[in-house]
Order: sequence, then structure tokens, then C-alpha cells
Amino acid sequence: MGQAGLTGVCLPCSVHWIATTVTARQDEFEHVAMPHSRSLLRVARRLASDPAAAEDLVQETYFRAWRSFDQFQAGTNMRAWLFRILFNAFYAQGRRISAAPILVSLDAPGREAEPQSRSGPSLAEVAEISNAFGELSSEHRAVLLLAVVEGFTCREIAGILTLPIGTVMSRLSRGRQALRERLSPAAPKVWEARAGAGRAGKEIR
Amino acid sequence: MNCSDITEIAPLYISAELDARRASEFDAHLKTCPACMSELGAQARLDERFREALLAEEVDVSRVNRRIRELIAAESFRPAAAVSQPRSGRWVTAAAGVAAAFLLVAAGYLLVPGHVARVYADAARDHQLEVVQRQARPWIVDPAAIAALAVQQGIAGSVPLELDASYHLERAKVCRLDGHLYLHLVYSDGTREFSLFLRQRDGQHLTGAIRGFANGRFLRAASADNEHLLAFETSRLTVMVATDQPAGAAEHFAKAASAAL
Repeated sequence: MGQAGLTGVCLPCSVHWIATTVTARQDEFEHVAMPHSRSLLRVARRLASDPAAAEDLVQETYFRAWRSFDQFQAGTNMRAWLFRILFNAFYAQGRRISAAPILVSLDAPGREAEPQSRSGPSLAEVAEISNAFGELSSEHRAVLLLAVVEGFTCREIAGILTLPIGTVMSRLSRGRQALRERLSPAAPKVWEARAGAGRAGKEIR
Repeated sequence: MNCSDITEIAPLYISAELDARRASEFDAHLKTCPACMSELGAQARLDERFREALLAEEVDVSRVNRRIRELIAAESFRPAAAVSQPRSGRWVTAAAGVAAAFLLVAAGYLLVPGHVARVYADAARDHQLEVVQRQARPWIVDPAAIAALAVQQGIAGSVPLELDASYHLERAKVCRLDGHLYLHLVYSDGTREFSLFLRQRDGQHLTGAIRGFANGRFLRAASADNEHLLAFETSRLTVMVATDQPAGAAEHFAKAASAAL
């Protein structure tokens, strides 16, 4: 209902219009934003110091997103927008990405460590990778999470983390190399990760 | 394209961001270079292992989704939400205010369940009786004994002697609010006193209207029995502030507490 539709209407109708508009906005937010909470929480758990802090971070992300929802352009990437808010909120609090990996118990596996299916990785595999990931620098962890786990492109990650795309590429290469060294120390290193932030970034802009 | 080029742009190749010409050049190099082909294959396998391992972790979003929806519902019914809507005349704006007021009241009923209201009410009554009216109650004033009391409550190291260099710790005791034990601390700025209630954070979460953020935490506000109440959660603690002082003073104290905890 546009502005003209309100002219000359009665008070109860206006009350109804306000309530309907608020509800419609909530419905739209529920439809386009809420489906991404699982991805956000998964990443937040790797950023924050403990599960409660991770939930708070996701809550704050959605709260900020809701307040800025009018500025979001329909048809653009809601998921990338939410992740950008998540990282902004995280860094705004002066926090560093937690160095502690999520602990995976081999003796008494809890819900958090359960594989989703029989064909998934074993608990030992999850623990090994989780521990190796926890040893990486915070910069490498951030780009690996976004690229490999969440499936963002380098360009999208550059937008989320407000970095030049060349820096994203460089961190991805170094992060992959560092993770691999920890998981397969004996593996041959044909590609040495290079600084390479400048050249490739310039080429594709 | 040589091996060095391949190394640099591999992330773009993996994420399918190369244009057709460069992707074709990349493919052509791989066909003639077993080393790069092998390395790219190793990276792809590593990505797959890493992705599977992290996605295997079960992520339960039910609690956080519920809290987000509560927040949004509370925020939606604030009068400010109506201001951003199209306006067509003074009386429509007034109608929006009336609507928002109705809805705010409705949301208040919906979003402040009885048990939470009781926590706030109990905190207000505790502050009123024990701090304002100074009923005879056993208080601990020795900082070392207060620290030991905190240890006993499972919140060791959570009792600052000063907040924001403006408020100093006066005394402490343990009290029961809505069935839970809290460490009740009283701080003073020399003329006014504020109650700070602490307990170990558990599954129960605070509700109430969001007043804003304090150090990245939601600050919730309520009032009961002419007392201003503010509450927030840290990763370890559930924290409530109660005072008979004006709202601004209560908020200043709560923010000082949030910075210290």
C-alpha cells in the first residue's frame, strides 16, 4: 500500500496498515535472512572464544541486519551481506579469531562432533583436521572458512573482509599450504605459497 | 602461462572466477605440466577433506534462531519502526504512534515471560529493601571474603573492586532471585548506590526490551517498583543492575560494569 492509500483513511485502518507493514517486513526478513543462520553460527563458532559468545555474535549480526534491512538491495547476495556484518561486528569488538580449535573428544563423542552420515569423515579425521585448522593464523582461518566451507568466491570474500582480492588469493594459497603441511607433513611441496598479492589482484580487477 | 602464474591464480581457478580465455590457458598448462596437475589435485582433495570435516559438526541453531526472532519482534514494535514508513499527514503519524504504542504494550506482554519478570521484580525488591531502606542484613565488606564468596558461587575473578574508576565496591552478600542464587554486590560513586547481581550463565536467557549495545553485548532494560533494571550476558555471567537512580545513571553504571566483566 502506497502513501496515497493512507490519505483519508480512518484511524483503525492506519493502525492495521502499520501492523501489516511491520509483519510483512518481518516475513521478508524471515524468508531471505534466517535460512543462513546455520552457516553464520558455524563460522562464528570458529571465530569466537566459546559457544555462548558465538551465539551472541550471530544474534548481534541479525540484529544489525534487521536494523539495516531497508538498505539491503533485493536481488543482491544476502548471505554475503550477513557475513560481512558478522565479521564487522566481530572485529568492531576488538576480538581476534580464537586460536583454540573446537575440541573433539575421541572417548565420548558429543552431538557437536557427530558426523551427519555414515559416509562422512571419522571422528579421528574430524579431530585431526580441526586441530590442524586451529593452529593456522587467524587470517588464514577466515579465508579458508569462507572459501572452502561456505563456498564464497574470492571476489565475495574480498567484499566480506574488506580486503583487496589479491590479498584474499594470497591468504588462500598460504592457508591451504599451511593446512596441508600440518595434515601431511611428508607431502611434496611443488607449489610454494607466494606473496603474490599484487599481480593477480591487478589482473582481474 | 607458466607454473608461477598457475600458482598465483589457482584460487580463482578453483572458485571458477577466471574468464573463459584465462581458464582455457590454465587448462592448457595443466595438460602439459604433471607437477601443477598433481598439486592442483592435492589441493582439491585437501579442500574436500576440510569441508567434510567442518560440515560434519552438528550446528544446533534452534536456540539462537529463537532469540533472534524475539529480538526482531521486540525491535519491530518499537515506535522508531513506524517513523520510517511513508507519512501522509499529521494524523496518520499520530495513528502510527498509537499503533506502535499498542503493539509495544502487546509485545511487552509477549516477550517478557513471567519468570523473567519475576527475576527483575525480585532484583528491584532486593535493592529497595536491602540497599535503599537498609534493612538489617548480613553483608560482607572484606574484599578477600567477597572474592571467596564469588569462588563459592562459581564465578571466580568476576568481582572488580572498581568500575570505570567511578564506582567502588562497598559490600556483598548472596541472595535468591526467582529461585536462583546471585552474588549481590553494592557499588557506590560516593553519593549513590547501585546493585549488581551476578550468577554463572546457564541455558536460561534474559529477555526484555533491548536498550542498545554495551561492549558488543545486548543491554536489556526493564523497570519495576520505581527501580531501573538493566541486564546483559557475558560468555560466563548473567548480570543485572538495579537502582532507584534515574535511567541515565543506571545505564552509565551498567556500561561500566559491562566494560569490567
